[in-house]
Parts: sequence; C-alpha cells; structure tokens
Amino acid sequence: MENKHISDLIPDYLDGTLDMETRRKVEQHLGKCNKCQQELEEMKALFHAFDDQDIPVPSERLRISFETALETEKESLAKVIPLSSPETKTNWGGNLLKIAASVALLAVSFQMGSLFQQRKVDGDMALLRDETLQMKQAAMLSLMENQSASKRIQGVNYIEEFEQPDEAIIEALGNRLLHDENDNVRLTAFEALSKFTSSESVKTLLIEALEKEKNPSIQVAIIQVLVQIQERKAAEPMKKLLEQEDTQPFIKEQIKAVLPSIT
Amino acid sequence: MEALSDEIIMQKVAEGNLDLLKILFDRYHKHIYHFLYKMCGDRMLSEDLTQDVFYKLIKYRSSYKNGSFKSWLFTIARNNLKTHFTRDHKPHEDIKVLAYKAVEEEDEIMENNAHLQNALNQLDPADRELVILSRYKEIRYEELAEMIGSTPGAVKTKVCRVLKKLKKIYLQSI
Repeated sequence: MENKHISDLIPDYLDGTLDMETRRKVEQHLGKCNKCQQELEEMKALFHAFDDQDIPVPSERLRISFETALETEKESLAKVIPLSSPETKTNWGGNLLKIAASVALLAVSFQMGSLFQQRKVDGDMALLRDETLQMKQAAMLSLMENQSASKRIQGVNYIEEFEQPDEAIIEALGNRLLHDENDNVRLTAFEALSKFTSSESVKTLLIEALEKEKNPSIQVAIIQVLVQIQERKAAEPMKKLLEQEDTQPFIKEQIKAVLPSIT
Repeated sequence: MEALSDEIIMQKVAEGNLDLLKILFDRYHKHIYHFLYKMCGDRMLSEDLTQDVFYKLIKYRSSYKNGSFKSWLFTIARNNLKTHFTRDHKPHEDIKVLAYKAVEEEDEIMENNAHLQNALNQLDPADRELVILSRYKEIRYEELAEMIGSTPGAVKTKVCRVLKKLKKIYLQSI
C-alpha cells in the first residue's frame, strides 16, 4: 500500500468516509509522495468548488402546489368511503321499486302485444273465412254444372259448409232438383234443400218439384217433408198426383194417409 | 415521527397515511430540485420537474416496495428528466446537446459556479449524473448502485474515475 499511489482513495479521504486503518495508511503515503500530495490538493479544490456553489432554492410555489395536490388526493380518497355506504342502503328500496316497475312494464307490454296480435289475427281469420266461403261457393256452383253426375252430387254436398246459403245457392240447388236428369243428383239436392225449409223460396221449390217429380222415392221424401212442415199449398199438387194415372199406387196411399193432416 | 426513517414513513404513506408525505417532501424537495437544476441548468424546468416527481410520489405511492426510498425517489427524478428531454423536446437530438445549451443560457451565475458548471457540462450526461449524485452527502454508494443497477464497488470506482476527469477539465479552465 505504501508503495502504491492512493489517488483512488483521495475522494473518500476528503469525505472522511475511510476507516481508521486505511486513513492512517493514506496519510503515511501522502507524507512521502508528492504526486499524491498534488492530487489531494487538486481534488480538494474541486470539492471546494462543489461546496461553494450557491445552491438554487426552489420557490414557494413548489410547496404550495405539492400541498394542494396532496389535499386533492386526500379528498378523493375520503369521498369514496362515506358516499358509497348510505347509497347502498337507500338503493334497496329503489331497486325493489325498479324491479317492480320493470316487471309491470313487461306484463303490460305483453298484454298489449297479445291484444293487438289477437285483433289482427281475428281480422285476418274473418277475411280468410270469407274468402274460403266465396271460393267454396264458386266451386260448388261450378261443380253443380259439371257433366259428371258424381261431381254434381259432390257440388250439392258442399251445402254442408254453409250455415246461411244465399239465393244463388238455393236457386242452383233448385235447378238441380227440378231439372237434373240423374235421380241421385235430384235426391241429394232435395236432401240439401230440406234443411232450409223455413225459407219461402225453398217451400215453393219443393212444391214445384212435387208436381214435376216422377221418381217415386223422391216423391215420397218430398211428401214427408211437406207434411212435416204443414205446408198447405202442397195439398193441390198432392190431389193432382192422386188423380194422375201414372202415379204409383203406394204413393197414392201415402198421399191419402197424410192429406187430411194438412188440409 | 420526525426521526423515523424514510422507508418506514413511505411504508405508512403507501398504507394510506398521506399526511406523512409532507415530511418526505420537506426532507427531499430541495435535493431533487438541486439535482435536476445541475442536470438541466434551467430553474423553471427544474421546478416543474420537481413538482412532477412529488405528484408521482402521491400517485404511485402504493407501488413503493421496501427498497431505499432515496434511490426510488431519485429514480423517479431521473426518469422524469429523461422523459422530458426525449419526449417534450426535439426527440431526435441527443440529451447532452440540450442540457449543454440550457446551462449556457444562465449568464448570471458566479465565476466559480460557471467554471464548475462548464466542467460538468463537458462530461457525458451519465458521468455528470453520477458525479452530481455522488456529491450529495446523503446518497451512499449502495443507493447509487441501486439506482443505476450496479454494485457499490463498481460505482465507487466509476465515481472516482469521473472525479479525476472532472478535476482535470476544471483545473484546465481556471
């Protein structure tokens, strides 16, 4: 140590941070070594320059702004705690009300929705039913004009679809009953018409048919219906039938049996 | 309370005792200001940067993790300075150019100060930082090593080398 230069220890020596042992050795070396002596003096000058510097002092603005920032931070911390706890308590009632309100809103809107939907469906259904009835009527009327007897019967049978058949249908059925060449079609038309005997036009049609009808089974059926509804106007055509020679004997007997009940 | 170590006080601050920050402010705001002034030579800028250091201390108090408080605080200050010169000023120019210019502008400083400051300005920013920090009696080599990520021995050697360099420049200019 004594032979080596101690320049690396000089700063610490000047700062007084060396331990006793090293310090003593440094001092010993400095006494013998001019180079290190010079180094020491130079470093001392530099350190003095450091110490002699006027140290700039920050303005009071720094402290004020720091303390303002600190207060702001403390307030923001303090605010969080007291505000949150009372709110959670009051929120219970509020939340319940909100839930109730939303449930009520849901129920009302559901009701309204289904109501409007129902109305619309009803309207649509009525329209559809109307349309199908018109289509059926058209189909029925056209079927009854068909060349094939079975198709005509099918057309006549469509009467079951109508609760209140209009005049056009009654007239078409009457045409079948009076003018159709096929016995079965006439019979079916008669059966269809017999359901609407309350209508005057149907009664007239039945009486007219009784005068014209040659098929005994249909004659019997017509007579039974007319007697059932106590149609007095039917008495004249029945008497005519009695007088006619080509009338079947059992028809005559039938007429004789029922005639007193309607006259 | 005044006698407590920085680390214990900062621990309490991190736990929520914000008022104790005032003690730390009293202890260090001058040092931080002085360090920043030595580094950039601009009083207003040093004051703004010092203010920012303590704002960050408030904001990031909970990220303090037990190490030396001084190292932590000066690390914040160093980063502030770096960020200021790389972001706010001409980003492509080197840090030493700006620091050098800024210091030259101060004409009213006394002759001794001017000589020392001129000598300091001729050092690398890293060397300058090291010598400025090491000249504070409060900062030990251990804390300096923690700040720059080195060992106390290496820091001591480096400081010694820089001091010699500085001494040479300083004596030439007289």
